[in-house]
Amino acid sequence: MLRSSPPDVSGVTIACDDPLVRQLVEDWLRDAEMAWPGPFSITVLTGDVCPFDTDDRDGIPQVGISVQAGAPLHTVRITWEDAPAVAVVDATEAKATLWMSPAALRQFDAAERSFLLVMLVFVMRRVGWYHVHAASLVDRGGRGWLIAGNSNCGKSTTTALMATQGWQVATDDIGFLVRDGERIASVGMRTPVALRPGGLAMLGASGGIDMSRRQKSGFWPEDLGGAWTPRVIPEIVAFPTIGERTALTPTTPREALAAIVRWSVWVLYEPAFAQEHLDALGMLARQSRCFHLTLGPDLFEHPSLLEELAS
Amino acid sequence: MTTHFSRHPDIRLTALEGEGVVLHLGARKYFTVSETGLSILEALKSPKQFDEIVQLITEEYDVTPDAANESVKAFVDHCVSAAVVQATTS
Repeated sequence: MLRSSPPDVSGVTIACDDPLVRQLVEDWLRDAEMAWPGPFSITVLTGDVCPFDTDDRDGIPQVGISVQAGAPLHTVRITWEDAPAVAVVDATEAKATLWMSPAALRQFDAAERSFLLVMLVFVMRRVGWYHVHAASLVDRGGRGWLIAGNSNCGKSTTTALMATQGWQVATDDIGFLVRDGERIASVGMRTPVALRPGGLAMLGASGGIDMSRRQKSGFWPEDLGGAWTPRVIPEIVAFPTIGERTALTPTTPREALAAIVRWSVWVLYEPAFAQEHLDALGMLARQSRCFHLTLGPDLFEHPSLLEELAS
Repeated sequence: MTTHFSRHPDIRLTALEGEGVVLHLGARKYFTVSETGLSILEALKSPKQFDEIVQLITEEYDVTPDAANESVKAFVDHCVSAAVVQATTS
């Protein structure tokens, strides 16, 4: 496994009475190999009893997570459903306080990919990094791709397949949209491409990092023949569905905007920063050619098809 | 009595090639709007009377006043019922 030297996590303040838990959070942020926009701070509380007051705001449900946001508190409260854990993100500043029960700490790996990641999505919003639910890649011709869609739409399998062709991969799932001069870039946390058994079989791959809690296997892009890249400037945005034959069909501007918004709407519903987040998504759509992407089995026989269809 | 129409404060919008996506934070809904709808919602950032909206549309698009009147009424009525636009009578 090839891994570049991890950057430090300077600018990030992590406070926790338990040095082991503090180290877990620090390792999680360091292993992401992000150039954090900092400064931001995370305070982790542990114990059996949730220290936060009750919150009766309507929740925005997500898989395994509940998000409460908006008036009257203006904080964001994230409740994990897998194990007792709650995060409260400050109303305006890039700081969060988490409480994790012993049961939640025992599932820290799972928390990283759901509870902690959602907390980070809202903290990063406060420093101008905006959530996008999309794989971000660079093809062999240097064009940036963003493949946006929900779980089960083929993002990760396509990402893994393209990595076998030498594409660079920023992320197969969650990215942050950041301003890069007059353009928008997608920044990805370095995490393994997570494949379900079906994707694994289609790729003819085996092994990988055990992610059995998610019933997935993880692969670093380098293990597949590709490379990791921290940042992608998308030129092509594709909205995938599974079909008979692989095809790229241009979307109308209205379809493109609606589709990009759709997968981040649960974050956009937090009133603070909604306009800025929407503007970033709009910029992304404006700078890119947008397509409906039908992913067919023929892509596995002819993996260069995506590059050819987009040329 | 005069009625002014304005965009609901919970509305956020963004545009692409003239068309737009409107996010309603209070209702937690989003929807797309046509070029004309987007022009109206952008104009209603500040309160306007119905005739002012119609005038804006006739100036911006090649449309007769009668046709503009009809389409603006349909759009504004729809937006008021969806709480995207507020009507204030004074």
